[in-house]
Amino acid sequence: MRLKKVAALSLAALMTLSLAACGGSGDEGGAESTGTSITVFNSKMEIQDQFEQAAEEYSEATGVDVEVYYSSDTVAAHMATKYSSNDPYTLSMVDAKDVYNLAEEHAVDLSDQEWVSQTPYAISINDKVVGFPVCVEARGVIYNADAIEAITGETFDPANYQTLDAFKGLLEQLVAGGMESPVGIMKEDWSLAGHYLPQVYEEQADPEAFVTGLTEGTVDLANDAKYNSLMDTFETLTQYNYAKESPISAEREVTEQKLAEGEIAFMFGGNWDWAVLSAYDYSENMGIMPVPQNTDDGTNTKLVGGGSKYFFIDSSENTSDEQRQAAKDFLNWLVNDEAGNAFLTEDCQLVPAFSNIPADNLDPLGASVKAYADAGNLIPNYNFLPDDHYSVLGANMQEYLAGQIDRTQFAQDVADYWKTAQVIAH
Amino acid sequence: MNTNSMSYKTKQYIMFAGVTTLIFAAVVIVPFIYGLYLTFTSWDGVSRSKPFVGFANYIATFQDSAFWAALGRTFIYSFVAVILVNVVAFILAYLVTRGVKGQNFFRAGFFVPNLIGGIVLGYVWKFVFNRALVALGESFSIGALSTSWLATSGGAMVCLIIVAVWQYAGYMMLIYVAGFMSVSNDVLEAAKIDGCTDFQTIVHISVPLMVSSFVQCLFLTITRCFMVYDVNLSLTKGEPFNSSVMAAMHVYNQAFTYKNYGTGQAEALVLFVVCAVIGVLQVYIGKKAEVSA
Repeated sequence: MRLKKVAALSLAALMTLSLAACGGSGDEGGAESTGTSITVFNSKMEIQDQFEQAAEEYSEATGVDVEVYYSSDTVAAHMATKYSSNDPYTLSMVDAKDVYNLAEEHAVDLSDQEWVSQTPYAISINDKVVGFPVCVEARGVIYNADAIEAITGETFDPANYQTLDAFKGLLEQLVAGGMESPVGIMKEDWSLAGHYLPQVYEEQADPEAFVTGLTEGTVDLANDAKYNSLMDTFETLTQYNYAKESPISAEREVTEQKLAEGEIAFMFGGNWDWAVLSAYDYSENMGIMPVPQNTDDGTNTKLVGGGSKYFFIDSSENTSDEQRQAAKDFLNWLVNDEAGNAFLTEDCQLVPAFSNIPADNLDPLGASVKAYADAGNLIPNYNFLPDDHYSVLGANMQEYLAGQIDRTQFAQDVADYWKTAQVIAH
Repeated sequence: MNTNSMSYKTKQYIMFAGVTTLIFAAVVIVPFIYGLYLTFTSWDGVSRSKPFVGFANYIATFQDSAFWAALGRTFIYSFVAVILVNVVAFILAYLVTRGVKGQNFFRAGFFVPNLIGGIVLGYVWKFVFNRALVALGESFSIGALSTSWLATSGGAMVCLIIVAVWQYAGYMMLIYVAGFMSVSNDVLEAAKIDGCTDFQTIVHISVPLMVSSFVQCLFLTITRCFMVYDVNLSLTKGEPFNSSVMAAMHVYNQAFTYKNYGTGQAEALVLFVVCAVIGVLQVYIGKKAEVSA
């Protein structure tokens, strides 16, 4: 009987423990306050620790208390919660599309700030600068040069593989050399229809007019040159996909691990993928190259990207003028102070969006993106896609990836979607 | 003192249920009414103005084919899951009330899955379906297992149902165990003397005497299945091809991801009405079937 009691008690204790493990959260940050105190929302999860650290140092140096918060909710949903409870952050880091949604009512005019002239990436609405670009991010094909060179025996220069024909030749060579399937494809809807598909719009001569054409139904997508050129490449990637048999069950972590360790050589992605790649036994010799295409419009020599994540300062009565000034000072510190610069480019490994910020120790993907950005070889993001674009068309593109529908059908699905979709007002 | 007067009753009520009523009103009644108001606006979640649009959101709800598809999917999922959960739970309860050696251990063991949070559980099972089963399938060349079930539209639903059964069966088992134990031994012995087989005893004696357990279990499983969100999110995230998006997930996406608060709220209301009707109906029918021993 005694034994039973002990067993029951320990079982109960175990259950309580497992329950307790589910609770507890870490939204804490900041240090002792001396005067003004500002709150900052950070939506880049991977830099939360560094950000808290930097905030602490900043508080010590300036006496302004900076508290950094993070939320696991989507940015828009979290902003909605804070604004409907009249408790907005002084300084919020959001995605570009959120700036267009929020800024008109909630953001302070930053046109008079010194840093405006130092970046091409700031967001302006109605001729007022409202969005402060945190960093530059770009999309393209990530390659593992070590893995390629181990088979080809020569130095890998992405500039030699800008056309799809040349790229295919290399893939064939890799297969012949023993790398059975040199490509990984992320099946996540945000990667397919949030990053790959939008290139069809972004690489047009006039993206704005093209999207308007889609909404008005005047664009024949199935016969569009850019659509076909990008889908040619996509189909080639699918053909050499390591998860060809069941592309929808490929997990992002597995794909990135294979790429980092050189089991595969290519994956479409962006420099944010480094946060995942670097978790494995990675090769230093990696980079991002433009998506190879058989085209002569020059898009196969450029990455697609630009400013990513934007700070805006709250304009409501919930924030005092002192707080607004402190927030402006903080942004200036990021751009014009060595410690601020070091926080961005060294602690967080972000590609700077400002011309005066030095960045020599970036991760391999960041270094690639910076090289393209410095040379002016970035095709700008189209930031006005409707909020459900990636989800609805992501499902269709997954079907296309899995071979359940063909290219014409997919073009039809995209065209159908745009019949009712509306771009974000800008 | 007049214990029948209005003021006495009110005082009694406030004393015993005042705080609870206040909390209930603050976190359920008020948000519900406010939500009702939101269904008549075209609010985007962050704007200061909430333009009044009449019944436009309800019209949008009825035109939103993705919502009805999700609701239909939820019906199928709930129907299958509710039956399986209760069948499994009933069998487990029967087995652990038979006086098997170590039955207390088994009871605790079957109950444990219920203590794991839905999100964690989803990730654990994702690993099982995507890796463990596939690895098994490959090494023993079992065709059905060699590709992940989560990658096919029908398979993802099957996975969700399996996980639901695993998660809830233990909890429901406890309620059935209580039901089995409440059946008095006198009646069971009488049945035995009259020559009932084990099966007959269960069907004709135990089950009618524990109808209240069935009512409770069915109510709990039906409402939980209709509201499923966490496992849906972490196990399939609606994938592949948005073919496993359940009603609750669609409502969340509509409101927070696509930023149509009004429409999302209207759809949530429809989901609420459906659940309420089924729940009340089921409890009403169940109560009628109850017998008192």
